[in-house]
Amino acid sequence: MNSARTGLLLIAPLAIVLVGAFLVSVLLLAPTSFREYLPGTGIVPDSWTLENYLRIATDDFYREVVWRTLALGLGVTAACLMLGYPVAYLIVRGDPRWRLPLTLLVIFPLMLNLVVRSFGWIALLTNRGLVNNLLMSLGIIDEPLKLMFNLTGVMIGMVHIYLPFMVLMLVAALQNVPRDVEAAAATLGSGRMHVFTAVTLPLTAPGIIAGSILVFVLSISALVTPRMLGGPTYQVMATLIYDEYMQLLDWSSGSALSFTLVAIAVAIIWLSNRAAKRWAGLA
Amino acid sequence: MSRLVLEHVEKRYGTVPVVKDVSLTIEEGEFVSLLGPSGCGKTTILRMVAGLVEPSAGSIRIGEKDVTNLPPNKRQIGLVFQSYALFPHLTVFENVAFGLRRQGESGNGFSARVREALALVRLADYGERYPRQLSGGQQQRVAMARAIAPRPRVLLFDEPLSNLDAKLRDEMQIELKRLQAELAITTLFVTHDQSEALSLSDRVCVMHDGIIQQYAPPEDIYHRPATAFVASFIGKPNRLSGTVAGNGADGRIDCGQGLTIRAAAVAARAGSAVDVFIRQEAIRLSTTPEAADNALAGTVAMRSFSGAHVQYVVRLPNGTELVVETPSSGPASDLAPGSAIHLLVSAADVFALPAAGRAS
Repeated sequence: MNSARTGLLLIAPLAIVLVGAFLVSVLLLAPTSFREYLPGTGIVPDSWTLENYLRIATDDFYREVVWRTLALGLGVTAACLMLGYPVAYLIVRGDPRWRLPLTLLVIFPLMLNLVVRSFGWIALLTNRGLVNNLLMSLGIIDEPLKLMFNLTGVMIGMVHIYLPFMVLMLVAALQNVPRDVEAAAATLGSGRMHVFTAVTLPLTAPGIIAGSILVFVLSISALVTPRMLGGPTYQVMATLIYDEYMQLLDWSSGSALSFTLVAIAVAIIWLSNRAAKRWAGLA
Repeated sequence: MSRLVLEHVEKRYGTVPVVKDVSLTIEEGEFVSLLGPSGCGKTTILRMVAGLVEPSAGSIRIGEKDVTNLPPNKRQIGLVFQSYALFPHLTVFENVAFGLRRQGESGNGFSARVREALALVRLADYGERYPRQLSGGQQQRVAMARAIAPRPRVLLFDEPLSNLDAKLRDEMQIELKRLQAELAITTLFVTHDQSEALSLSDRVCVMHDGIIQQYAPPEDIYHRPATAFVASFIGKPNRLSGTVAGNGADGRIDCGQGLTIRAAAVAARAGSAVDVFIRQEAIRLSTTPEAADNALAGTVAMRSFSGAHVQYVVRLPNGTELVVETPSSGPASDLAPGSAIHLLVSAADVFALPAAGRAS
């Protein structure tokens, strides 16, 4: 009773801000996503249609963008996990003297503006950029590699930008693994690899899941990096929504796409949470 | 089951020695406690035997096999941690099965062995639970079952009972003794609790500052302490400083200002400084003068009642204060402060040892 009221009071400030500034305005968009849009005329008032949603499910262009966004999200998440886990492990289990410098190194990119970092990648990845010039001067390649305006470029940029979030989540998770539990597995006959797979990995599952959800949601909703490294033609859902709203003024399609993105994100968070609980024996 | 032998084992962290030249043999099936205050190196020794800490020098043998450079998973040991260290993501059954699975066991005999280990610690019906659904005492019993199930050659305990409350600790102590007697596995038990060490062990190894002070059966540790440290650490001793009087043969110690105490034997040269230890519980109280090796008159300065016992602070004529513990149901259990009292101590209960090694 009392604890329920205390809980309510504790979330009240954030809840008020979120409901007022976020939920209400999002819900106001909901009717718009069911309105008809006529190019040149605009949104038809009092019309009602499922066309905007059906198009996302049936139109090849839209479907490709949706799949690309999901693939990109999964790819970025997987890459961040693969690259981030060893770093997090080193930070937590390595020489304590290196802990602070390493953590600062991980956080440092977050201090730079997103646009600046994405520009940095453009300088590196364009046809006459640093990477291609170097490889061509060394005679390793004759033609410049296509590193931008495609999946490769967007992946590279987004992995770099979201890696710190993943590492910080994994550091927190690894710090919560008791050393004694790992030692217990070793005394019971586990080699180092088996200690890792049978004990460390499952015990860090909550951190892996939390970090993955965070990176996944951030990357499927990212706008700046896909726009800068993907260019105007390589679209993901976020850039498409932006274009529908700001360039085509087709608010109806934009709203429908936004709700689809939210629905996908929520569904994936829910599913992965369930899977994680089962995996870590916490169900 | 095997003999455990440590030869000249040392551990230094940087230049700081934690364990200094320790040699120790635990016979097959023997229960040995490493007893000492925190920081004496006892846990480091245990972790070196387990392979979790690498010795700086010396060798460790289990049976005929030199395990000094083997990783923990190749040593066939069972280790019970103070923190239990159960696998939180596995059921009790899977926790106990972990070591057996590592040995490549499976099939019917395998589950039978897991259930047998659980039955040994009286948790036969708890296999499907998760550790977090168990009480502290139950978790500790699971940890024991897990260590025992693969039939290790040596069983190691790292202060396994110190996270439990007093009543549970006593129960677990009895359980542990029963278990060890049943299995007869060579056991090394690390503790800072002297009653635990004395009641459980075949032999007790008292450590201080990384050095073995005395390695002997519990009775010898209690009744015949070898060093001033052991005398000060075991029981509840009063410590007096004195010098060996006369030629030392009659065991007389001059404790200053007219106080002379007789010990059964003095392990020091005449005239040298000694520490004199008299246990609180070895002093008998009497309201009338009686003949004894040491008969001292004093006055009660303070009384405190603690259930089974009453403790007095008694001031001697020369100003020395001694703490005396007496059964609360016995005579002289209700003396008011200021009462005159006689202290009677047998010479055999007075330990006079070369002054050194202060208890921490």
